Amino acid sequence: MPHKPPTKEELDRRKIIGIHEETITNVTSSDIPYHYPGEDHSWDIEKFRKGFSVEFHQNDPYEASFSLIGCDASIANAFRRIMIADIPTLAIETVFINNNTSVIQDEVLAHRLGLIPFKGGREGLHNFLKWWRKPADESQINSSYYDFNTVSLRLDVKCEHNENATPGEKDPTKLYKHAHVYARDIEFCPVGRQEKYFSGADAIAPVNPDILIAKLRPGQEISLSMHMHKGVGSDHAKFSPVATASYRLMPVISIERPILGKDAEKFARCFPPGVIGLEKVTKKEAAQKGSGYEGHEGELKAVVVDPMRDTVSRECLRHPEFKDKVKLGRRRDHFIFLVESTGQWESDAIFIEAVAHLKKKAKDLEKQVINMVR
Amino acid sequence: MIIPIRCFSCGKACRLRHWVTGDLWEKFIKLIEEDGLTDGDALDQLGCKRYCCRRMVMTHVDLIEKLLKYTPDGRNLKKLEIQARDLEKQQQMM
Repeated sequence: MPHKPPTKEELDRRKIIGIHEETITNVTSSDIPYHYPGEDHSWDIEKFRKGFSVEFHQNDPYEASFSLIGCDASIANAFRRIMIADIPTLAIETVFINNNTSVIQDEVLAHRLGLIPFKGGREGLHNFLKWWRKPADESQINSSYYDFNTVSLRLDVKCEHNENATPGEKDPTKLYKHAHVYARDIEFCPVGRQEKYFSGADAIAPVNPDILIAKLRPGQEISLSMHMHKGVGSDHAKFSPVATASYRLMPVISIERPILGKDAEKFARCFPPGVIGLEKVTKKEAAQKGSGYEGHEGELKAVVVDPMRDTVSRECLRHPEFKDKVKLGRRRDHFIFLVESTGQWESDAIFIEAVAHLKKKAKDLEKQVINMVR
Repeated sequence: MIIPIRCFSCGKACRLRHWVTGDLWEKFIKLIEEDGLTDGDALDQLGCKRYCCRRMVMTHVDLIEKLLKYTPDGRNLKKLEIQARDLEKQQQMM
């Protein structure tokens, strides 16, 4: 008996992960060769190209949200992990402390400085700056710093009494000069060709100038110089270009049988605002036999408006009145990404860089495999 | 002791207008003390939306303020003064 090709409904069903009151079903993907007898599920670039699409929902410099539709979880997860751990950024790596009489200990202060995100000219950051490698011979370390691998910064703050403060003033920021040390007090010292790449608006500067680094009192001072190097998130989280890069699967809500009137309002309240809408039952629907709307013309019915906003809390499954009327699920091949940049990269550029990175990794692997069989 | 630069969980440090835990603290305190907002509303207004970032600010105890009270305010100046005087004396003696 020849095998019938699967219907569209069947293909859709296979793509949806079932979310029930207490269980999750249909978790593993089955579009692999030899899973269904008589069906060809071998990977094909044309088939992939036809089914794949990218859709942007939000694209701000520091926050981007987009969907990858029609790809496998392994690919989506590779992008996520590359974005978090493999895209290089510039951060403070070495701190040379000349004087620190503040109440914050040297090592804590150095750690705090390291975590501050910086921005600068894109061309300089991405193309001009190269990796810095610690020389094997420690005594050679001073000759390993060049303008193309090290950016130097200074921080010199001294807290003093403010003579112009009104008598009886209690606010330390007005009573003293430099009572609070902010990220904007960090001074960039360009060397060599860095002047060309990092000048004016392109200067290396903290993304948020208001980050509080330390608090001082009169007589205390912080005097230090810093070296910034390029690094990756797998080495230290401070090098990660993203605050979070995460994805979730597209929620699917299907209303199997009509939910009407008061129930519809309650149903809408089971979801975050904007997911479920209320519409009036039309005359046509009421006239249709077997639709469940007979004799309910003009009443409110629940309709799915925007399933993407759903958090899949499963609240609607707890109520007996919605039993068998609604089915929840998630689409296995629709990934909604949320990428939040820390400021050094544009958030959509991070994703594009991640794609380039994965390609490079695949090419490297291919080369090695070819060498292996040779 | 002092407000952490980044959220421990998500590493969110920097957004142009809001969201460093490091710069949120002062704004947060200002909103609570001057505008009389509750902590939840203040965080909403600051745009701190995830619960990991919210707990960084909400549960922070700014102990550095206590430590700053015990700093040798003026003592260092006095020390420098004495040193300068001693130096002067030495120079006079020479």
